[in-house]
Amino acid sequence: MSLLQSLKNAVRSRSIHVAYVNVGSCNGCDIEILACLSPRYDIEQYGIYVHNNPREADVLLITGAFSPQWEDKLKPLWDKIPHPKVAVAIGNCPISGCVFNRPETLVDPPVSKHIPIAAEIPGCPPRPTEIISTILSLAPIIFKDYEETKK
Amino acid sequence: MFSIIYYIREFLRPQWITTFFTAKTAPLVTPPYFRDFPELTDKECTHCLACMMICPAPDAITVVKREEIWRPEITKGHCIRCGLCIEACPEDVLTSGRILAYKKEEELTLKGTFHIEIDQSKCMGCGNCTVACPVNREIDPSLRSSGTSSSGEVIMRVDTGQNKVLHEEKCTGCKTCEESCSNQAIRVARVVEALQGVEE
Ligand code: SF4
Ligand code: SF4
Ligand code: SF4
Ligand code: SF4
Repeated sequence: MSLLQSLKNAVRSRSIHVAYVNVGSCNGCDIEILACLSPRYDIEQYGIYVHNNPREADVLLITGAFSPQWEDKLKPLWDKIPHPKVAVAIGNCPISGCVFNRPETLVDPPVSKHIPIAAEIPGCPPRPTEIISTILSLAPIIFKDYEETKK
Repeated sequence: MFSIIYYIREFLRPQWITTFFTAKTAPLVTPPYFRDFPELTDKECTHCLACMMICPAPDAITVVKREEIWRPEITKGHCIRCGLCIEACPEDVLTSGRILAYKKEEELTLKGTFHIEIDQSKCMGCGNCTVACPVNREIDPSLRSSGTSSSGEVIMRVDTGQNKVLHEEKCTGCKTCEESCSNQAIRVARVVEALQGVEE
């Protein structure tokens, strides 16, 4: 492994930029993501920073059961994120549609049908600790040696 | 001038520097009272299905027989951790957080009944639901394909071209009738009562 690569690994594991998108959730999971920003959990001590701009993001958090309006919007949004990137499904909605997945509703879960999902956090909503520990354990695995394994 | 010197002195204190660089918030722990996904206790499941009937999330809990033993199984990603199955189970097979403790303390029981509603402006009296209902078929095996029946004990029957509900209290909430209706005229609703204290 080159020196440059190990440097990149070290920097990337301490600097994770996050964007989140709500594709039709009840807001419960979004509030739990918001709670991660609070002093109680303080994600910036781990180097996680919320930009909410896909062009700058490494990790995309997805909440919601995928309403029809997102059909033509989520894929372009995912394509805007520069490599290396990873998408994490937050809550039951992107996994199964949660309580909304019933006959005669318009939701179209799971979100993994539309973009590749690397990890799923079940719960309605999941605890902030579950969200943070997932990002922290996932990001280094995905981003490690990215330039070398890409070739 | 003095204040600048004061600040420099303050920020050069070894204790201040060490706390500044090593400060961490409390580690990420889940408290023991957190209402997590229900887990099994060592009590025996009697396959009464009270847990499945109360569950508000589609496909979250199923009671299955594995190695000759009935057991409820929770599907993560579907279960919303509401804890209702724990409260509803008469045998205390499931547990999570403090629910079992306060269930015992408050002598809590959940009693569920089912309410059948037929929208007469949509129902065309075909009798599909009446024939499909497993409870109906058990009560009156000679139920005709048009849904008419000579028995007054059935849950519902077609009478003078209209489907009428006779014995709502016998319904088990399986919703087979809803699925067999082509007009979505029949609806089965769960009505749950929470009771506190010992029943007389
Ligand atoms: S998983 Fe539950 S809390 Fe999260 S968005 Fe869906 S319904 Fe709301
Ligand atoms: S906790 Fe609630 S959602 Fe989960 S299985 Fe039990 S009743 Fe269903
Ligand atoms: S877990 Fe409890 S409520 Fe569910 S079927 Fe078994 S005994 Fe009945
Ligand atoms: S829900 Fe099941 S038991 Fe109740 S009326 Fe419909 S088919 Fe019969």
